[in-house]
This record gives sequence, C-alpha cells and structure tokens, in this order.
Amino acid sequence: MCCTHSFEEVKNEPLSPAVSLDGIKGMKFFDPHVHMTSRTTDDYQAMADAGVVALIEPAFWLGQPRTGIDSFRDYYSSLVGWERFRSSQFGIKHYCTIGLNSREANNEALAEQVMELLPLFVYKEGVVGIGEIGFDDQTPAEEKYYRLQLELAKESGLPVQIHTPHRDKKGGTKRSMDIALEHGLDPYKVIVDHNNEETVKDVLDRGFWAAFTIYPFTKMGNERMVEIAKQYGSERIMVNSAADWGISDPLAVPKTAALMKIRGISDADIELITYRNAITAFAQSGQIDEADFANVGGTIDQSQKFEGNTILRGGQQPRVDKSSIIIS
Amino acid sequence: MRDIKSTLKEILQANTSPEVFSWIEEDRPLNNAFMLLPRKTGKAPLNITTEQSTAISQAIPGFSVDDWTVDHLGRAYLLMNLDSSNKEEYFRKIENLFLAAEMGEQVALYSSLPLLSHHELWIKRCSEGIRSNIATVLEAIMYNNPYPSQNLDQAAWNQLVLKAFFTDKEIGKITGIDARANKDLAYVISDYAHERWAAGRELNPNMWRLVGPFIDDKLFADIQRLFDDGKLTDRRAAALAIIASNYAPAKTLLTKYPELEKVIENKNLSWDTILG
Repeated sequence: MCCTHSFEEVKNEPLSPAVSLDGIKGMKFFDPHVHMTSRTTDDYQAMADAGVVALIEPAFWLGQPRTGIDSFRDYYSSLVGWERFRSSQFGIKHYCTIGLNSREANNEALAEQVMELLPLFVYKEGVVGIGEIGFDDQTPAEEKYYRLQLELAKESGLPVQIHTPHRDKKGGTKRSMDIALEHGLDPYKVIVDHNNEETVKDVLDRGFWAAFTIYPFTKMGNERMVEIAKQYGSERIMVNSAADWGISDPLAVPKTAALMKIRGISDADIELITYRNAITAFAQSGQIDEADFANVGGTIDQSQKFEGNTILRGGQQPRVDKSSIIIS
Repeated sequence: MRDIKSTLKEILQANTSPEVFSWIEEDRPLNNAFMLLPRKTGKAPLNITTEQSTAISQAIPGFSVDDWTVDHLGRAYLLMNLDSSNKEEYFRKIENLFLAAEMGEQVALYSSLPLLSHHELWIKRCSEGIRSNIATVLEAIMYNNPYPSQNLDQAAWNQLVLKAFFTDKEIGKITGIDARANKDLAYVISDYAHERWAAGRELNPNMWRLVGPFIDDKLFADIQRLFDDGKLTDRRAAALAIIASNYAPAKTLLTKYPELEKVIENKNLSWDTILG
C-alpha cells in the first residue's frame, strides 16, 4: 500500500482491517485450488469454521523434486486416500485433480513413467479434472507433457485445470490457451488459473473459466479481486487460495467473500465467485454431487457420541481449547 | 448350503439393471473395471432378503454384506471373478489394486479379504491395513470380516485389537473378538489401562472383556481397582470380567456385589449393553 495510493485514501481506511467474517456467516464456500497435503489440521478446522464445505486439491510439485515413480504413485494415492479422509474428519468434501506438474515435466525419463501411471488415477472417484498442468519455464519438455495431458483430458472427458506461469505470465497464459484450443478442447471445460488484471479479459473473451488465486505477495490480493469482480462481473470467474507450503492463506476464499460483501458486491455474485462457478466448472467431470456437502455445517453437536462410542457424529474431530494453557 | 459366489451374484443382479450387470461381467483390465464400476452401478445401499443374508452368514460365518452399497458388492464380485489358478499373477493383480486404491476402493478391497482365494497370500496386506489411520478402512478390516481372526498370527491380531481401542472402534463388532482373546493381549491391555489411569483419561469398559478369562493375581489388582475407584460402568465391566474368570478370589469378590451378579444373571447386563 505505497505509491499507488494517495494520502487521502490511506487516511480514510484502516491500514489493516481486523478479520471479521460476520458479514458472510452462514454462506458456503468451495475452494477449487488448495494443497491441503502441505497444511495442518488447524487449517482444516479453521476452513470448516469459516464455511468452506468442499475443496479441490490439484496434484502439484511438493517443493522437493521426486526422483522415482513410486513417489508419484504414493502422492496420487494420498490425494484420493489419506488426505480425503483427513478432510472428511472436518466435514469438508475433498476432491482432487490429477496430473504431472510443469516443473517435474522437465525430468523426461520420469515424466514418461508418470504418463503411464496417470490413467490408473484419472478415473478414480472424486477426481474432477486433469491438473494442475501447463507451463512453468515454458520449455519444450513442458509443452510436450502439457499436450499429452490435454489428450488424456479429452479421452477421459475431464475438465483441465491450467497452472499459468509466474514469469512471462501473459505470454504463457495465451500460449496455454492456444494449445488447448489446438487440441480441440472445449474452453468451457478448461479452468485457467492464477489470473490477474493483465490476463483476465483474454481468458474470458475466449470462453475459458478464469480462476484467481488470492495469495499474498506473489499472486492476487483480494482488494484487487474486488475491483475485478466489479469490472467483469461473476460469469465464469472463481477464486481460490492455492494455499500450500508457502506463505499463503487457506481462508482466502471466505475472506475475499467477506471483503466483497463490505465493498458492496451482491450476495448472488459472491455466491457465484466463491462457490457455484467452481462446482459448475468441475462438475463436468461427473464426479461432484452437491448433496455430499451442501447440507453440512449447521448443527453438529461435538459432544454427541454415537452408539455410546467416542466416535463423534459426522466424523467430526473433537475440539481443543486453544486459548487455554492447559493441554489435556 | 449355497455357495457364496452364487448368492452374491444373485444379490448383485437384483440390485443392478441387466445392462449394468453385463458391463460388470465383460472382460476388461481389472484396474479399469474396479475404478470405473461406481460410475455404472451408482452407490445405493443394497436391498438384501433375509434368506440371502442368512445364506451368506452360513457360507462364511462372521461375514455380512448387509451394510454394503451396490458398488461395494460390484467390486467384490469383480475380485471373485478373477482366475486364481496362477497364484503369483493373481496376487500381483490384486496387490496392484491395493497400491493405488482410493478410500472407497480400499474399503472394498479389505472387506473382501474373506472372499479371496489363497488365504495365506493376504496376511501381510491385512496387517498393513491395520496400520492405516483411515477410519473406514479399519472398520472394513474389523467389522463383519472374519479374515483377520482366522488368519492373523497372535501379534498381528493383538495389534488389531489395540488399534481398535486407540481409534475408538466398537469392540463388540470385531469378528472373533472373544474367540481370539489371549493372555498376552490381556497383559498389554492392563498396561494400557494403567497408562490411561496415570493420564487421568477414561477407560473403555470393553477393555476388561479381554482381560476377564485371564485374571490372575496381577490382573486381579486391576479388577479390584475398578470396584474401588471406578464409576458404575467400571464396576459393571469388572463384574462381567469376573463372570468369564475361574480365579477364585475374583469369584469371591463378586459375591460382595449381589445386585451386579443379579443383572448379569438375568441377562440385563452384557458387554453389548454395558454403556447403555
């Protein structure tokens, strides 16, 4: 908040408004891009409290490069197994997209093996797309495996979740879309992620879904997001947190909704941007049944025991009192 | 007695359309069939007749598909249709399913262990499943599944029971829970009870169900403690444990609690109703 703001603007609003999600109480949120593998159970708890009822975890780079095919298999298995269970304990429906990320596409010997492995996973229940795929450095190897995975998406009928690069974003985004169209994909089945003010118009004009990642310092801030919603409306636009192992915020979706509410965006538009559009886009996989999560939340009595057992109703985890110095 | 496969086939046919059933019967790579099956069958709970349910429990005592969904049974049926004549190939095919299984697939695989051929092949896999922390997977191994009690060695079986306590499972629903009680397990459970007492945490009264038949002078001290320091549930558990014991001092102790003796004798108290 420096040079682009005049002194008057700064004077008229607090530098850092306190978090208040009161304005969005009772609303449901769908975070279509969040790497829960890298997050703690506290984050799951906080997301559930803030109204997140479902999420999509795209397969991505874990920070440490993988050196063998079994590491990929175990990672994909965890996305449809352990992580899915972990999420369910907090009443959050967990979906994922499966793919070879662009960084690791550069290890071609391994990438070949991953391509053979992918068909074992893309038809699994709850796999709602091929993702996140696309460009990082925009190398020939990245392009090769991007194209191969677009073909896999076509064959399996799954939507595609495209990661657009940090460097040369505008060029990389355009190139990603050109290639997707060249392979005959319906842009309505392609979600172009990590958009910003520079890319959004082109993405929407060409019929793709435009996803925005609210991620501090490197991607979008949610004040900028509010301005985009004011300018472009809510059609084919969605927000996500892309929270991962970096400094990121798993509450980015509800916080953005809260800010939109304060800044006068209509409830209907907020619902589309933070919930409905993600479902519409990814339900084209045939793997999302809204009934699985639309009615969660509300009245879960944490003290209720099931059949005299200490298993809590709804698979909910018991709560610890974080404000107490006593840990029992 | 009817063979299990024909009963399961009959149930599956009754719960699927002819098109879906013939899709299940078609020849295709196992991985694909196993993965895609719920898209064809849906996930509705099975409709099963009492006769079918009885036929199943007669064919495989302790086994039940009463709580299964149609995709769950469809997957089990795919496994039963596999040719098991080449043992190595049979093992490799099924083990590959385990290696890349999502949550629902894991449940189907582990709960189908009693239906697989070559029982000795799946012992390691079953022990591995017990190490899972996914609640539904553990339940698939523990509940209505006679495979573990019939095939696991004592160490692995004891792990299963301890895991059940640690993850708050319903002990009474574990197939073979009483038949496989053993002295080692009784002692480990006694140690576990002492840890819980030291931590000031509650005890699951079903722990004493596994201690009862092995009460000796050491374990008897725990039983006395339940009577002396415990709540009503603890005293009930202690009384039920003594019923299963031949240890004379324990029998004598129980006579001091005639009201508990009486409710047990009148069948108004059992391990299944102890928390009720």
